[in-house]
Amino acid sequence: MGSKIKQIEVFLPEHVLSNEQLEREFPEWNAQKIEQKTGIKERHVASEDETALDLGLRAAKKLLDNYDKKKVDLLLFCTQSPDYYLPTSACILQDRLDLRTDIGAFDFNLGCSGFIYGLAIAKSFIEAKIASSVLLITSETYTKYIHPKDKSNRTIFGDGAAATIIEKSEEECILEFALGTDGSGYANLIVPNGGLRSRYDPNAPEFDDGSGSIRTKNNLYMNGPEIFNFTIKSVPIVVNQCLQKNSLKLDEIDYVIFHQANKYMIDYLRKKIKIPEEKFYMNMIYTGNTVSSTIPIALKDSIDKGVIKEGNYVLLVGYGVGYSWGATIIKI
Amino acid sequence: MTVNEFIERIREILELEDAQLNIETNLRDLQEFDSLAVLSIIALVDEKFGKQIPATQFATITTIRSLIEKIGWEHFE
Repeated sequence: MGSKIKQIEVFLPEHVLSNEQLEREFPEWNAQKIEQKTGIKERHVASEDETALDLGLRAAKKLLDNYDKKKVDLLLFCTQSPDYYLPTSACILQDRLDLRTDIGAFDFNLGCSGFIYGLAIAKSFIEAKIASSVLLITSETYTKYIHPKDKSNRTIFGDGAAATIIEKSEEECILEFALGTDGSGYANLIVPNGGLRSRYDPNAPEFDDGSGSIRTKNNLYMNGPEIFNFTIKSVPIVVNQCLQKNSLKLDEIDYVIFHQANKYMIDYLRKKIKIPEEKFYMNMIYTGNTVSSTIPIALKDSIDKGVIKEGNYVLLVGYGVGYSWGATIIKI
Repeated sequence: MTVNEFIERIREILELEDAQLNIETNLRDLQEFDSLAVLSIIALVDEKFGKQIPATQFATITTIRSLIEKIGWEHFE
């Protein structure tokens, strides 16, 4: 007895920010170069009145067009852009999706590692017989935290949501996990103001953070080089830990999906860990970095294109904000 | 890796075909020294020397010489 991913649906908001638009706003940026260097052509941006909850709702509704909502007995909502401090956004989603009321629903606050942790939670609840059909929604609107003049972050991040069903199954199709946390890196990917540690400041001054990008402390800050240092150190280790825990070797894995942070970084990781190109997913051209949804979006894309098939073993690795990371292997 | 080979790799990263690049070149003066170039140099140092330079130290790098000093002269042939 185990658990298995049954279905994935994706929703990206309608408004698109293209490289051409970025070039117009930042004349020293070149559209061609952006695509060549980052692997991104477009990213989707939620509208003013569209929140992560709304995006998650749309993704879940798409999924429930082809899945009996009465079966769902646990709703997980992964976001770092909730509608409210309270109540829990997952409770609101339960109501908006018209799910049963005799089920569990809660939010969890993670970014790039969110989908991996969501799978771990789903597997645990199923194994403990607390649930049998889990609806995991990952949804993020980092663009709402980014300063309009922060050209780096506006280039990289896109908004989007994914809804995934994990069901109880005969065969175990979600294998062992390797997780990791290092809070010493907390300040390297952060929205400093707005929470309770440091309140939102309507008079926060703008400043250039040294890289030519402007922001205030109300905005998202990402220390790219430091994050890169963290990933090149931690990701190879967690990949090994996960393979060991599952008594598998890299060449027994059919496909590898890393969190799609940015093309340069994941290509470097691929080479460092010696994953062959044909086994490695790399695509953020029309989405940018959608944080906790990059992995389910990549999975759905790979399955739809027939790149991964039933019976394949796929290694999934999420890593980033926190720092938080995790890896697992799933069987399709 | 020799110092000249290292400078050549930096030239490739910065996509500077003809420009004069030497150990006293101040990277911060170069328009090509953007956020991606920083990542590429971090990757180069990791790949060739197995070292990760903390971002705070990287922020103090100016010339190629200062970068080599951060890596450590003993690592070069």
